[in-house]
Amino acid sequence: MISAYILITIEPGTTNKAILEMKKIEHVVKISVVAGEYDVVARVQVNDLEKLLDVTNKIQMIKGVKKTTTQVIEKELTL
Amino acid sequence: MIIRRKYLLYVLALTSAIIAALVASIDTVISVRYITNPWAFGFSTFFVGIFITFLFALIFSIPIRRGKSLGSKLIDPSFQRLRLLKKEEIKYHVLAGIGNSILTIGYLSLLSLVKDPSVVLPFSQIAILYLVIIESITEKNIPTLVEIQSTVIVTFGAILGSISLSGTINLESLAIVFLVINPGWVLFSINQRKLKLLKIHDKPNDSINIRFWNVVFACIFTTIIVFLYDYILGTGNFIEGIAASIDHFDWMALTMGITFFSYVFYIRALGIGKASVTQAVRSTIIIFSIPFTILLAYFNIIPLFSTDLVLLLIKIIGSILILLGIVSFALTLVKAYVFISIKPGYDIEKTMNKLWDIRGVSRVTATAGQYDLIVKIHTRTLVKGYERTIRKIEEIDGIKDYKWESVLKEWEKI
Repeated sequence: MISAYILITIEPGTTNKAILEMKKIEHVVKISVVAGEYDVVARVQVNDLEKLLDVTNKIQMIKGVKKTTTQVIEKELTL
Repeated sequence: MIIRRKYLLYVLALTSAIIAALVASIDTVISVRYITNPWAFGFSTFFVGIFITFLFALIFSIPIRRGKSLGSKLIDPSFQRLRLLKKEEIKYHVLAGIGNSILTIGYLSLLSLVKDPSVVLPFSQIAILYLVIIESITEKNIPTLVEIQSTVIVTFGAILGSISLSGTINLESLAIVFLVINPGWVLFSINQRKLKLLKIHDKPNDSINIRFWNVVFACIFTTIIVFLYDYILGTGNFIEGIAASIDHFDWMALTMGITFFSYVFYIRALGIGKASVTQAVRSTIIIFSIPFTILLAYFNIIPLFSTDLVLLLIKIIGSILILLGIVSFALTLVKAYVFISIKPGYDIEKTMNKLWDIRGVSRVTATAGQYDLIVKIHTRTLVKGYERTIRKIEEIDGIKDYKWESVLKEWEKI
């Protein structure tokens, strides 16, 4: 199982519609709207890297998405 | 389906509270009419509970389509089928089983003393006080003023709400609440949360297996406690418990069947929010128990209560305080991501551990990409986030740059 964070920049005024589209994408397990350099942080869980590419592609195809940065998780400490 | 994480927590904890209020009323009927000995009742609860929970778990294990089971569709998406325990789960199940066993015997003793669920249930909500203290130790989270304030409001609300509508306060029952039920509940809920957060085969642990195995362990420890009690005091509670399980199997099956759903929803809620926040939302049980008490009094199962306006007013004030405490608890959580870049030549794992030791850090992730580490922060206020987290991050050697991104809204797949 591969997990990744996708950091997304969205054009102003399109955030709500873009999030609605993102919610429909399989393998997106968490969506956080953030204030800062990025607009949305999405957490993705897939079985292989090919699927990750597929999810990233689907996010990039959403109207209003300007840029995505993918961070593949290598190790995690959590409560 | 993706919904806001906060709403899911509320829905699960509130549903669990409504079901638990119903269960408390059924328990009152059993304790007043059928099994008056709390030790025999306690043993019978888990003895019959094993069969009922096993039956439910088997039904929910029935596969439907695409490898999914009935339980994953209706109850918990993480559930696949009833399974054996993993080695890493046993320690938590032992502690949760001891906790459940202690709290159940305490709760049934209290019920046999007071005989009014609207009095017994609010008392138990004071467990939130214990939970905030334990969390400050185990989850590196020193309570803020808001947390202390909300906890005190909930506690006072629970004390006011637990005054019997007949106007009495029983000191023996207070001792059972503070020394038996609440410590038992804390042991139980902290370890259930640890179990829910465990990953089994790379997937989140499910609430149905956790509930089934908890009943098994609680039955083992209740049997030991009842056996020891019988041996020391020469009583016959164990035999009485077996007889009660057979004679009143229908009532015990009913209460344990409904309890199953109350706990499964509670365990799922525990996997989403902190134990104290879940407990705070579940405190609404105090309000849900009032109509059930009126119903029990109407059917003459418990004595008719006073309609004294002062007593009613005190109970209403208590309920409002609990709700206020819950709202301030739930609305004051600030979450943030911190994206970190590390200078070359510094060990990432060592830096991860240093970050992990900072208060309020709930997740540290090493990633491949533009940033080396992503840290998730939970804090009650932004000031606390700055003082206790950002300043500590800046002090760590090897951190080249960081970006703080406050979370404004969040959804999670359920």
